[in-house]
Amino acid sequence: MEIYLPIAEQSMNVFLLLGLGAAAGLLAGMFGVGGGFLATPLLIFVGIPPAVAVASQANQVIANSVSSLQVQWRRGNVDFRMGLVLLLGGMFGSTAGVWLFTYLKRIGQIDFVIAVLYVIMLSTIGLLMLAESVRTYLKRRRNAGAPRGKLHTHYLVHRLPLKLRFYKSKLYISALLPVGLGFLIGILSAILGVGGGFVLVPAMIYLLGMPTAVVIGTSNFQILFVAANVTLLQAITNGTVDVVLALLLILGGVVGAPIGSRLAARLPGVVLRGLMAVLILAVAVELLTELLRTPSSPYSLGIREFPR
Amino acid sequence: MKALLLAVATSLLWAGIAQAQGPRAEPPANRPGTGLAVPSEAPAPPSVPAEMVVPDLVVDLSRARVSITSAFQGESILMFGMFDPPGEIVVVVAGPEARETVLRKERFLGLWLNTGRQSFDNVPAYYAIAASQPLQRLLARGAGGEILSLEDRLSLIKAIGPRSPAELAKFRAGLVDVKRREGLYPAAIGQVTVQAGRLFRVDLPFPSRLPEGIYDVKAYLLRDGKIVAAVSRPLPVGKVGFSAQLAGWASHDGMYYGLGAIAMALFAGWLGGAVMRRL
Repeated sequence: MEIYLPIAEQSMNVFLLLGLGAAAGLLAGMFGVGGGFLATPLLIFVGIPPAVAVASQANQVIANSVSSLQVQWRRGNVDFRMGLVLLLGGMFGSTAGVWLFTYLKRIGQIDFVIAVLYVIMLSTIGLLMLAESVRTYLKRRRNAGAPRGKLHTHYLVHRLPLKLRFYKSKLYISALLPVGLGFLIGILSAILGVGGGFVLVPAMIYLLGMPTAVVIGTSNFQILFVAANVTLLQAITNGTVDVVLALLLILGGVVGAPIGSRLAARLPGVVLRGLMAVLILAVAVELLTELLRTPSSPYSLGIREFPR
Repeated sequence: MKALLLAVATSLLWAGIAQAQGPRAEPPANRPGTGLAVPSEAPAPPSVPAEMVVPDLVVDLSRARVSITSAFQGESILMFGMFDPPGEIVVVVAGPEARETVLRKERFLGLWLNTGRQSFDNVPAYYAIAASQPLQRLLARGAGGEILSLEDRLSLIKAIGPRSPAELAKFRAGLVDVKRREGLYPAAIGQVTVQAGRLFRVDLPFPSRLPEGIYDVKAYLLRDGKIVAAVSRPLPVGKVGFSAQLAGWASHDGMYYGLGAIAMALFAGWLGGAVMRRL
């Protein structure tokens, strides 16, 4: 069954889009991160213009983080103070990101930049995850318990000014750190159409030193507002948010997410992370080959403009 | 008067199609329901009164407009009509003109990226040409003038900015290449078929990614290489219904559209989460 996407201006199979949403939701349920970083490249693979894929995906991220935030909020796992500080950076970052996106689109380089950023990001994350899961797996086989380290290690970053106390996270750190982190995630979010949870979550744990329990809820809090900002700005400046596409992805995700969390409960974490790493690397390799392969035709069309 | 003539022409055409469908197995371009606009009470045996002044060329389209709905997957529109023999028929379809920018990828540090760009003005969004005889033969006989092959039409588009003619030709070829891939410059449009010496029909294919605007469908009657009659039919192409509303909203009121999109996602996410936890 085909459906016409009014903003992408093409028809596409409904079940393909629902399936893509479900796959992203499956990942979201399994790993607690939004599946945006896989859904956007997949949308581009099936022929949605990258600009539309990114903007509509940002719209989908809102739905994803709202349903996740509901649970975390009820459990009291949201550090609002930290969330707001992250959000301050995130708002600036995403606004700058949409501006950059618009500029790149105008000079005809947006597709290339999206692809390159995805290759860099996905291969880094994929390799790190793969290495981590292999190491854990080997360690477990040797059956040696890891020696317990210090609760916090103090780096140079802890000497930055503007220190703030974050009670829920049990932290006393410079506000510049979360603001900067939020800013970077905001840019990523605007250009790649992702929530950024897969970068934000590890950064909050390892860089900020936040307790794992509040990380998911707090990151969802920031992602929700950043994704809303990206959706709004993309709609205003580029008009590339396709709500029909987003709604289909959301519907698929609603079905996929619980299946993912049920699967996650059954499979051991190491295997799960290993599988995910392989999947991420596969997408990175596919995007890289697209960049390296001689195209069937070197020509493409930019934006159609009407005489004023 | 005009309506009566059309009714006569269409019923003649129907008779022609019915005849042809016997041995030759015509492609069923007129799917049931797409409705050739034939009134059911059309006079069955066509008889053209001798004293009536019949124009040389009468045409109509199987649909008055191309409606891009939520289920749109491209569409084939039939142009049909009647002409005074002898003669040949040429049909030209041109989409609205706009400025197009052609981007060219080149290898840079092993990666392919857009390095060249060239804009052209007055590029038709869609261009198709069909004839009842091989086109080259018709145009070679000097019928040219107003009737342009795709190549001739594209030699009229205006390049913006300086560039060597050889390079411009490459970009122009690239433009045709992309448009052809998208089905917007159909290379092998079905030829105009003529029945009973005076009835003609041609299928005009429109792909699913179709730019909106008023398309011009023009039929020419040629005799001895000269245009003796021409009839032009505007064909509006546009989104209708739900997709039209959404697209209009997105382009005119980006902010409200964006806020609506956010509200939709918030609600869908909240509802989805709530429902799925119950199950």
